[in-house]
Amino acid sequence: MVAFKEEMVDVGGTKVHTMKGGSGEPLLLLHGAGGNNGWLKSIDALAEKYTVYYPSHPGYGKSERPEWLETIPDMAAFYTWYLETLGLEGIRAVGFSMGGWIASEIAATCGHSFSKLMLVGAVGIKPNVAEIADLFIISPAQVLELMFHDPNQAPEYQDIYQKELTPEEAMTAETNREMAVRLCWKPYMHDPRLANLLARVNIPTRMVWGKNDQIVPLECGELYNEAIKGSDLVVIENCGHSPQVEKPDEFIKIALDFLA
Amino acid sequence: MSLNVYYFTEMPYHHIDDELAEQWPSLRLTFPNSYFDPNKATDLFKRYLDEFQYAEEAGFQGLMINEHHNTPSCMDVEVNITGGILARMTSKAKILMLGNMLPTSDNPPRLAEEIAMLDVLSGGRIVSGFVRGIGVESWANNTNPVHNRERFEECHDLIIKTWTTPGPFRWEGKHYQYRAVNPWMVPVQKPHPPIWVPGTGSPETVEWAAANRYTYAAFLTELTRARTLFDSYREHANKAGWEPESDKFAFMICAHVNETDEKAQESGKAFMWRMGHPLKGPREYWAPPGYFSQAGVTANAARRQKPMNEMSYEELQEHNHLVVGSPDTVIKKLRHIKETLGIGSLLLETQGGPLSHKDTMRSIKLMGEEVIPALQD
Repeated sequence: MVAFKEEMVDVGGTKVHTMKGGSGEPLLLLHGAGGNNGWLKSIDALAEKYTVYYPSHPGYGKSERPEWLETIPDMAAFYTWYLETLGLEGIRAVGFSMGGWIASEIAATCGHSFSKLMLVGAVGIKPNVAEIADLFIISPAQVLELMFHDPNQAPEYQDIYQKELTPEEAMTAETNREMAVRLCWKPYMHDPRLANLLARVNIPTRMVWGKNDQIVPLECGELYNEAIKGSDLVVIENCGHSPQVEKPDEFIKIALDFLA
Repeated sequence: MSLNVYYFTEMPYHHIDDELAEQWPSLRLTFPNSYFDPNKATDLFKRYLDEFQYAEEAGFQGLMINEHHNTPSCMDVEVNITGGILARMTSKAKILMLGNMLPTSDNPPRLAEEIAMLDVLSGGRIVSGFVRGIGVESWANNTNPVHNRERFEECHDLIIKTWTTPGPFRWEGKHYQYRAVNPWMVPVQKPHPPIWVPGTGSPETVEWAAANRYTYAAFLTELTRARTLFDSYREHANKAGWEPESDKFAFMICAHVNETDEKAQESGKAFMWRMGHPLKGPREYWAPPGYFSQAGVTANAARRQKPMNEMSYEELQEHNHLVVGSPDTVIKKLRHIKETLGIGSLLLETQGGPLSHKDTMRSIKLMGEEVIPALQD
C-alpha cells in the first residue's frame, strides 16, 4: 500500500482536508455526493503511478465551507483556487458522480486546469429518457441498495458500508448529506447550461460507467460523450454506480490506460 | 384570567378508508391524487365553512385555519383564500391563520399585500401566523430545506418592512430582491396584525419568537415539553428585560365534547383517523436532510416517547393530545392545561377526520354553552 498523509490546505482562509500520497505527476480525485470514502484499493493503485490529491469537498468531512459556497459552479470556482494554491495546473483529474459534475464544470470554464479528464458515473446533465435517482427522498440504506449491481463483488463493501459508525462519523454522514442537498437540490443533480459549455472542452476525456448504474443512467454517459469532442465512453458490464468500489480491478486498468 | 378559545379544523378529505390508506407509505406527498373526488370536496367545503360560521355564533373567540399540500388530511391549500371567505362570513371572531408558509414563498410582498387585504376585509381581525412548513412541504413546494430557516427569516423581515415602512423601497436580500416594494394594500391593525409562530420543539423558533415578542403556539406537544418551551421563551424574554404575559402563549390540541363521557368516548374515536394515517410516512418526508439543525434534531428526540400515530386512543388522551368527554370532564382537563401552561389562547381542533357534521355541531354547541365560559375565570 502507498503511504498517504492528510493535510489541511488553506484556500483563501478555508481549510480543505486533503489526502495526499503516491509519486509521479499530480492527479486530482473528486468524490461524489456521499463524501470521501477514504484511501480505497483503487485509489491506492492510482497512487502507484501518480501523486494523488484526494480532498474532501468544502462542507464535507473535515473540510470547512465558506459561507458563500452554495452551488456546483461555486464549488468549481473554489477548486480552481485550490489548484492555484497548490501550484497545480494542467493536471489529470478523475471525478466520481457529483465530483464528475464539478470536474466537468472546471474543465468547461477554466481550460488550463486539466490535461486529462475522466468522469465516472457523473451527474450534471439531465437525461432525456430515464431519471437520475432522487437520493434525498430515500433513506441512506435505500441509497446504498441502489448503488451496487451486486455488493458481493465489491471487496471493500463491508469495510466501507457495513461498519458501525462512531457518533462523530454518523454526524459527518448527516452533514455530508446536508451539503449534497445544499448543492444539488434544484435543479436536481444537473445544470441545464453544462452540456452547452462542454463544447469548449478540448482535452482527452473518458467517461466510465457501470452498465447497471441505477442512480445515474448510462444515458448520461452517452450525453457527456456527445457533448465533449473526441471523448470516449467505457461501459463496465455487471456493474453499478461505483465501479471503483464494485469492480476495482477493471476500473484501475481502464483508468491507468487512459491516464498514461 | 380569560382564555381565548379558537375553533380549528384542517378541513380533511376523510373519504380515505383504512384499507386504502394502509396500502401507501404515507397520505402525504406521494399519495395519488386520483383518489380525490372534487364533487365530494365541494360538499365538504360547504359543511366545514358552515361549521366555522357556527363556531363564531356559539362563542369561540377565534377561528383558526392552516395550510398543507399534497395530502387528503388538509384540503386548505391556501390560508389566504380561506381567510378571505371567513373574513366575509363572520363578523366578530379573530381569524388566526397559522399560517402562511414563509420559506416556500417566492414572493413576500405578495404575501404581505394578501394578508393586508384580509385585515382590511375583516376590519382588523387577522392574526397572522408565520410558519416554516413541516418538512414534507419542502418536498411538495420543492424549496431547498437547507435554506428553510434563512428564507423564513428573510421573508418575515421583508413582510414586516412592507407593512411598516412607507413605500416604495428597494430590497436586495439573499433570497429575495425587489425594485419597488410598494403594495397599495396595507393592514388596518397598526403597526401590523399580531404575529404568531407555531412550534413543536425547535429551540431556535422559541428564541426567535421571544426576540420578536410574538405569540408562540405549541402544537400537539406533551404538557411537560410545552412547559419547557414556554419556560425557555420566558427566559429569553427575561434576559432581554421584559416579562411576557399569557397572550404570548398558545397551545393546540384536539378536543371533542358530547353530552356524556360515554357518548363522547364513542364519537371521539373519529379523531383516530387524524392521529393515524396522516402522520405516517418515511423519515425523509418529515425531515428532509438539512431541514432540522442539530439542536432541532436533539429537541425532536426529546419531544415524545412514542409517535402519536402509534398511540392508542387512551394514550392520546393520557398525553393530552386529544381531550374527550362530557362538558364537565373537558372543562376539568382544559383548566388543568390552562393553569399548567399559563396560556392566553387555546386552539382546539374540534373537527377532525371523519367526525360527522352532527357530532361536530353538537361539540361546538356544548363548547360554546358550557366549556368556553367555564374557562374564563
